[in-house]
Amino acid sequence: MTKREYNSQPEMLEGAKLIGAGAATIALAGAAIGIGNVFSSLIHSVARNPSLAKQLFGYAILGFALTEAIALFALMMAFLILFVF
Amino acid sequence: MRRIFLFDENSLNSSSTIDTSSASTIDTSFASQCTNFSSGQASGTQDTHAGIFEDCPGLNPNDERVVELQCEIREKCEALTQDPEMGLILGEALHAESDNVPFLQSIADDLTQNGVSGEAFQEALNIVGQAAASPLDQFEIVPLIPMHIGNFYFSFTNSSLFMLLTLSFFLLLIHFVTKKGGGNLVPNAWQSLVELLYDFVLNLVKEQIGGLSGNVKQMFFPCILVTFLFLLFCNLQGMIPYSFTVTSHFLITLALSFSIFIGITIVGFQRHGLHFFSFLLPAGVPLPLAPFLVLLELISYCFRALSLGIRLFANMMAGHSLVKILSGFAWTMLCMNDIFYFIGALGPLFIVLALTGLELGVAILQAYVFTILICIYLNDAINLH
Repeated sequence: MTKREYNSQPEMLEGAKLIGAGAATIALAGAAIGIGNVFSSLIHSVARNPSLAKQLFGYAILGFALTEAIALFALMMAFLILFVF
Repeated sequence: MRRIFLFDENSLNSSSTIDTSSASTIDTSFASQCTNFSSGQASGTQDTHAGIFEDCPGLNPNDERVVELQCEIREKCEALTQDPEMGLILGEALHAESDNVPFLQSIADDLTQNGVSGEAFQEALNIVGQAAASPLDQFEIVPLIPMHIGNFYFSFTNSSLFMLLTLSFFLLLIHFVTKKGGGNLVPNAWQSLVELLYDFVLNLVKEQIGGLSGNVKQMFFPCILVTFLFLLFCNLQGMIPYSFTVTSHFLITLALSFSIFIGITIVGFQRHGLHFFSFLLPAGVPLPLAPFLVLLELISYCFRALSLGIRLFANMMAGHSLVKILSGFAWTMLCMNDIFYFIGALGPLFIVLALTGLELGVAILQAYVFTILICIYLNDAINLH
């Protein structure tokens, strides 16, 4: 019995880490919505005024990179949970 | 001696094999109690050759010297690592169930004489490290020329080497296409590449920083150009296989973003004096709200520096780990020695190819984003909203 308790503690910690890292990826839902929003707005805008397409694409890429960075913050949290503690 | 006891238990219970993870958690005091017992047992089982060691042919019970040496190696490892579990793993990796007495003796001697810096101990670490290869291994910083000055650690690492390479690459590139090497009226390919980069950043600075005459804008241009080129070359250099990505380290991107952030704040104070604090309070805010807004603006202003560094670092690290994980997957599939897996591995391979293309794009894009955000922040500091 004592041996089992001794064994289960690091395993529970490992399991909790995995659950935590998995939970951290929920944040990707928000990033997905954000990226979808950026490009849907780009398509709307280009459909309304095709002459601005080039300029708008630059802005969209910038917006995409900024939104993607938020997703990567979540990824970094997952890595921190998995490997640092 | 613990090992012998475990084998005994194994044969007595005639149960399934005991894996090393559960074996290593058995109490140390318990194991030491059994030391006397097990040494007696080992000598007792000398005549029954096929007895308890049946499932482990490498370990010959007739040769007590082998067992002694293996135990000695394990104990040395435990003493060196100060951690019984790690010592057990290292010791097992090192003697690898060998029954060659001179080999074991040489390892034991090396551990005794040289300790942690010895060849044997480093080899053990290597073996164990290979067993648990992580996709984050590629970001490891290895000191190439170790240097300790007092308590400071000034080693020339692979990170420093690749930063020097980056610097020399773009300095050489620029050197060879300007007056000394090129400077043709009709540019060749290299010259037009550099002119493209130069023009690109020049336009960025012109567009993003408003309200100043061209000459004043020129003051900031060299710094921004160098930042852009440095990041671009670091990121692109990281895409070369087996090279090192300098910007995948938090320390480096954070140092860059914080120094630039401090510089921008200094520029703001230089131009506006104490009036720069009005940056923290947007115009036309009702007075009762002011304390909260000032706090919020202050936090968001300071967070800029952090997010600038984290964005670049996270993009680089995530991208490179992803490529590494997927290529490891494809490689494992290729090495399965099975025609179906071999054909199936084409899928991951194409994904890796596509991801490499994406990473090249991200490498350029992140350098651009970093630069344009610097310009935007600089514009904010100069023009105060």
